[in-house]
Amino acid sequence: MIQATNLNKSFGTLKAVNQVNLNIKEGEIFGLLGPNGAGKSTTINLISSLLKADSGSISLNGIDLNTHPILAKNSIGIVPQEISLYDNFSAYDNLLFFGKLYKVDKTTLKQRIDEILILIGLENRKNDLIKTYSGGMKRRINIAAALLHKPKILLMDEPTVGVDPQSRNRIFEVVETLNKQGLTIIYTTHYMEEVERLCNRIAIMDTGKIIAQGTLKELQEQSKTTEKVALTFSAISKEQFVAFKKAFAFEIQQIENTLSINCNINKDLSTILAYCTTNNIEVNDIKVLKANLEAIFLDLTNKQLRD
Amino acid sequence: MILTILLKDLKLFFSDKKSVLLTFLLPILLISLFAFAFGGIGGNSEPRIINLLLTDIDNTTETKALISSLEEIKGLKIITTTLEKATNAVRKGDYLAVLLLKEGYEKAVLNGEPAPIELKYDSSRETEIGMLQAVLMEKLMQSIGEKSISKNIENMIDTKFANLTPSMRKKIKETVNEDDALQTGSMVDFQMTTIVKDNSKRTNFALIQAVAGVAIMMLLFSIAELGAGLLEEKEAGTLKRLLYSPIRPSAILFGKMGAALVLAILQLLIMFVFAWLAFGLPILEDLPSLLVLIFAVAFAVASFGIFLVSIAKSRKQLSGLSSLIILTMSAIGGSMIPLFIMPPIMKKIAVVSVNYWGIQGFYDIFARDLSFTEVLPRVFVLLGIGIVMSLISLRLFKKNLFKMV
Repeated sequence: MIQATNLNKSFGTLKAVNQVNLNIKEGEIFGLLGPNGAGKSTTINLISSLLKADSGSISLNGIDLNTHPILAKNSIGIVPQEISLYDNFSAYDNLLFFGKLYKVDKTTLKQRIDEILILIGLENRKNDLIKTYSGGMKRRINIAAALLHKPKILLMDEPTVGVDPQSRNRIFEVVETLNKQGLTIIYTTHYMEEVERLCNRIAIMDTGKIIAQGTLKELQEQSKTTEKVALTFSAISKEQFVAFKKAFAFEIQQIENTLSINCNINKDLSTILAYCTTNNIEVNDIKVLKANLEAIFLDLTNKQLRD
Repeated sequence: MILTILLKDLKLFFSDKKSVLLTFLLPILLISLFAFAFGGIGGNSEPRIINLLLTDIDNTTETKALISSLEEIKGLKIITTTLEKATNAVRKGDYLAVLLLKEGYEKAVLNGEPAPIELKYDSSRETEIGMLQAVLMEKLMQSIGEKSISKNIENMIDTKFANLTPSMRKKIKETVNEDDALQTGSMVDFQMTTIVKDNSKRTNFALIQAVAGVAIMMLLFSIAELGAGLLEEKEAGTLKRLLYSPIRPSAILFGKMGAALVLAILQLLIMFVFAWLAFGLPILEDLPSLLVLIFAVAFAVASFGIFLVSIAKSRKQLSGLSSLIILTMSAIGGSMIPLFIMPPIMKKIAVVSVNYWGIQGFYDIFARDLSFTEVLPRVFVLLGIGIVMSLISLRLFKKNLFKMV
């Protein structure tokens, strides 16, 4: 659905996008994850043809962006990071205006606006001026404005920045509904929980490059990060701890009566529990700590995502 | 603490070089412009030249002698031409006046009768005419005087002392006071007429100057402000959304320009309707010319507004730039000071200003009473300015587009 090949974009000496390759399949929610300045927005701007790549090619729904930019633009909807709405227009007038830019006929457009307003849950506020909306409501209208021409691809650039939890959940529901309706979505964010919840596949960007891409499972495999199990005992003596370490070749950290053990949970947990029973070490609590995206990101980039 | 804040603010101010430049350069520039306009600079070194058209219908030795003596007047340049060409040139505002030496001039001078002379002038430039009239009358009195007085004395003696012998008449003639002769009648039958189709429709020129001058200057400011909407869209992010859509950048620019054009037309219409209702400006007498000129002025001003926006990168820059350029154009173009009181060099520079073409166009309609076709050249110049500005703006807009978002 979206094919980007060897994309490069520089601003002066800064290589904002460096040899980026993407292959996003129809119906996917593709997460573009990276810290600020990683090159996510530049990539989105290249795909939306707002910026011209220094080299490389992009194909959207089989349409070459370089040769048919207007046609390609008709097949995508873009939700910019900024709330790009006219404050002194009502939500309805904003949507009417943006719909007209895509030459949607008036009757269809009006029906479409009503449908979208119901989808985002703002049908009762459609005649209110945007400046009277909360941040979360504005974000939802910001998404609605990208859907009026029924695009096949939706680019969402950090659509939940500064949004309250209630609106965020609503946005997630909207994204999932749209995806179920067949929309292919590129979703950039630096909130990992959003990517984990929404995205089928993820690309991790840093300093203009894609450093890893795949499903969460594939990324876990690419990363050295493993799962951990935290065992809390009623009591463990120094001798018992030394013996435990000798028995297993795992990396183990002790915090009071809790041992945090790097291991393969499926394979090793039963052996560890059997050892504890045999050696009269009473286990009070077991917690499985999965190798999440944050840990994978940290491992791959040596950076915190919110850096 | 106050000193700390004061120093911080001064540091911030001086760190913005463009603002510093505008703060100090703008007043200096305006002072220089006004000094030039009022003739306060270079006034002594370059005397003002008045170009006076002259049509010699009598075409005799006496008229040629008069022309030679007129050519001796410092600051007056005589250009001889036909009456038709001269009248047209004055009507179009190219020249101030035409001096017409009528048929029978020589005969009248030699017979001591009032010499038939007419000064046809541009009614919109009455202040200049006052100065010209004073210079002309002095020279005419001197030139026509000698011959006319001599003949006048002869006529007076012939009338009053017809029965005297020739020797006595000669003696009287030599002793008679010239002033007495002058009192017998005027040497010149000097007529002054304005070149308008109908003198009854003559307009208040100060009103035309005020309405046209202020209207165009204020329009420039309004349109620059409206053009700033593009920069507001950039700051609000809506420009980005417009660029995401499948419309061409030129459509965004010309859409903005179209809005500016409509508002400019409305603003001018309201100003002229107000001048009509409140001050009696006769806007209905040549409505087609007025509407066409309003459109041309609005188009030139709208494209100028878009041009300003396309060279400014922020609202702050736009504010400084528009103040500088609009005040300069208004000063040299005749919005602030009527063009006729400016020195020749300023009149030449004035043609680069939209204000000049607009104001002169309104003078053509209300003061010079030119026909629709005669107003068209200025309309074409204004449209030309608009087209050139639009093309430059489009080029700059496309070039800076990606930097804008």
